[in-house]
Amino acid sequence: MRNRLSLVVIFMLLLATLLSACATPAAAPAAPAAEGEAAAEAPAADGKTVLDVWSFTNEINTMAVAYEGLHPEVDVKYTMISMTNGEYQTKLKAALGTADAPDVIALEAAFVKSYVESDILADLGGLLPEAEAAQTYAFVTDVGSHDGVTKAFAYQATPGALFYRRSLAKEYFGTDDPAEMQALLADMDKYIAAAEVVKEKSGGNTFMVASSGDFQNPYFANRAQPWVVDGALVVDPMVEQWIATAKLFRDNGYEAQAQQWQEGWFAGMNDSLVDAEGNAKQVFSYFLPTWGLPYVLAPNAKAADGSSDTSGDWGVITGPLPYQWGGTWLGIVDGTDKVDLATDFIRFATLDQDNLKNWATGVYTNDFLKAIDPEVAPDQQQAAGDFVSSKVVVEEIIPLFDDSELSAFLSGQNSYGGFAEAAPSVNAKLMQGSDDAIQRALNDPVNQYLNGELSIEDMWASWKDSVRNEFPDLIVE
Amino acid sequence: MIKQRRFRHDYYGYFFILPFIVAFLVFGLYPVYNTFALSFTNTTIMKGGGAFIGLQNFKRLFADNVFMTAIINTWRLWLLNFIPQIGIAMLLAVWFTNARLRLRGVGIWRGLFYLPNLLMPAAIAALFFSLFSYYGPMNQLMVRAGFISEARHWLQDPFIARTLVVFIQWWMWFGSTLIILMAGMTSIPVSLYEAAMVDGATSAQMLWRITLPLLRPILIYIFVTSMVGGMQMFDIPFLLTDGRGSPNRSILTNNILMYMKFSSADGHIGASSAVGVMVFLMTCVCAFLIFRLLRDRDRA
Repeated sequence: MRNRLSLVVIFMLLLATLLSACATPAAAPAAPAAEGEAAAEAPAADGKTVLDVWSFTNEINTMAVAYEGLHPEVDVKYTMISMTNGEYQTKLKAALGTADAPDVIALEAAFVKSYVESDILADLGGLLPEAEAAQTYAFVTDVGSHDGVTKAFAYQATPGALFYRRSLAKEYFGTDDPAEMQALLADMDKYIAAAEVVKEKSGGNTFMVASSGDFQNPYFANRAQPWVVDGALVVDPMVEQWIATAKLFRDNGYEAQAQQWQEGWFAGMNDSLVDAEGNAKQVFSYFLPTWGLPYVLAPNAKAADGSSDTSGDWGVITGPLPYQWGGTWLGIVDGTDKVDLATDFIRFATLDQDNLKNWATGVYTNDFLKAIDPEVAPDQQQAAGDFVSSKVVVEEIIPLFDDSELSAFLSGQNSYGGFAEAAPSVNAKLMQGSDDAIQRALNDPVNQYLNGELSIEDMWASWKDSVRNEFPDLIVE
Repeated sequence: MIKQRRFRHDYYGYFFILPFIVAFLVFGLYPVYNTFALSFTNTTIMKGGGAFIGLQNFKRLFADNVFMTAIINTWRLWLLNFIPQIGIAMLLAVWFTNARLRLRGVGIWRGLFYLPNLLMPAAIAALFFSLFSYYGPMNQLMVRAGFISEARHWLQDPFIARTLVVFIQWWMWFGSTLIILMAGMTSIPVSLYEAAMVDGATSAQMLWRITLPLLRPILIYIFVTSMVGGMQMFDIPFLLTDGRGSPNRSILTNNILMYMKFSSADGHIGASSAVGVMVFLMTCVCAFLIFRLLRDRDRA
């Protein structure tokens, strides 16, 4: 008997070890949450409902805390996963369809369409009347809709603009007035001609633009047809024009050859760009959208060591081509058991006029958020200036920016008013789920062509091979 | 006696290996089976379950030269880092264990050589990415020293990108190979060397006649594990440039191609499984060949 008993005990012990080993991965996510926010993952203890939100920046966490302030019974569990090299999408795709799938997900403009076109997101059509009341810009709703079903809303509208250095404009063109500059740079031919002027008058020390990638978006936004028509890959003449212009900029030394989002690109914003020999270089203009001003240009206008500061030396105009760039949409993962709560959170974040007004005008300071959740990170806040998706709110708050920090940055210009004029003309009909992958595949062949490593024929062939590989069902050529 | 027969102790062993067997079936064998099953379908993540399409995924792999480029790249990157890796590790291991040389501070050197292996590949890739960027230190150094006349896009040059990947892989892994080789060499009985010395053997003779033959099992182990790892090379080439094997697909490896198919807009897991299956088969065949070629012929 003793032997049999010991056998059973051993077996039970092994089974227990095995089961606990299996259970560990499932239990693990709860641990960090419990450390971070005391209330998280404990719905039974304090009666709070947990809403799982995933995003790729800490931006929406501000909305989440504000929402908790209005709804103390809700605990928004916020998870941020960086977008570098597609990490956010990888984690998201791995979690979808499992018990770890979040309730609400943030979707960036580059890939929002592929989710809207799929069955992953739940129908948000019930919020359309509210969107109508807020007069959400048409293209924002268009992007979040597919086949007549609306699945995602955004709190931002993101028309693009051209930012230029006022002091350099005065030096090379004799004026820094936005209206006159717009006339000088009204189309790409004029922009190219101006690039030559900048090069000549600066002795090659000022570049018209940091990288030819900067005007890729404007060219692509003005195509006549999308990348995929009737299941076949289409190269619009505007794509060819972008490459021709990029080559011209490279060969003539109009661009600083700094890649977007890399060191040199940011250095140009605060005049700390130094070439390999140690000569100081300057960048005349940047193509950036609404969010580029408060998130990219203004924070980088001061050099890290404080040696240079270009704040107040910037002007903004529509630029040679109208375009839009980026933006964050919110959707609900279909199948969540918290549809009502998730829908209300998205309504609050993207359509609630009070929230959008607070968001855009800098009400959500760190102190404001700390009063709701004392454990909020010290850098969590929303500075004034993000351009929101509701026309009603935008028109109401334009005057507030006449005399703001951002208008001081632009030497008195009210950028908000300018964006409000551009927003209704933005067209999102070209956007497709496959855009991001198709455009990313083009970057390296184009770089090789610009460096003179590939002929233009080989460039197209290389790109088409990549596209064929990522889209087995697409007809290429 | 009766008790003895009812509870045979030799069954106990099965209970002890049960956890491994179950874990292997669930986390090892099933994923392999599932990958094979997926590779015959056009399943995507975004659109859900797909249909059986036979060998279509495999046919598509050979429709253009991208897949073959990835295979050739992977072999090239692995061989170019493995040959110097085993060569230098072998040389150092022989020196460090040589009874005649009696080098000092062997432990310290061994630790130093192993250190790069402890660093995160992500950190190393980021470091080299910054060093070789257009406005980075390498351009400043080279231009100011007069080696090149103007700044270059290092990481857009296929040769440079490949060289960097090979160097990083070698630098990260030769310390690990060194430690395994040294462990193998020190386990060879000293009496064999002593006997050889009495017989007047030279260092070279002892290396060729004693060390290498007795090291064969260790060498097979290093060969196979390094090849399996090399065929799955991913992190450094993925992180060094844009995650697409750029420039000009020069550092596109099997696993990067598989990942690209998985992470494309629709998430073509069927097509990416086909890449996985091909790599799996190739690795199996090569591992088998290594075993055949390096096994002890006397005993076989």
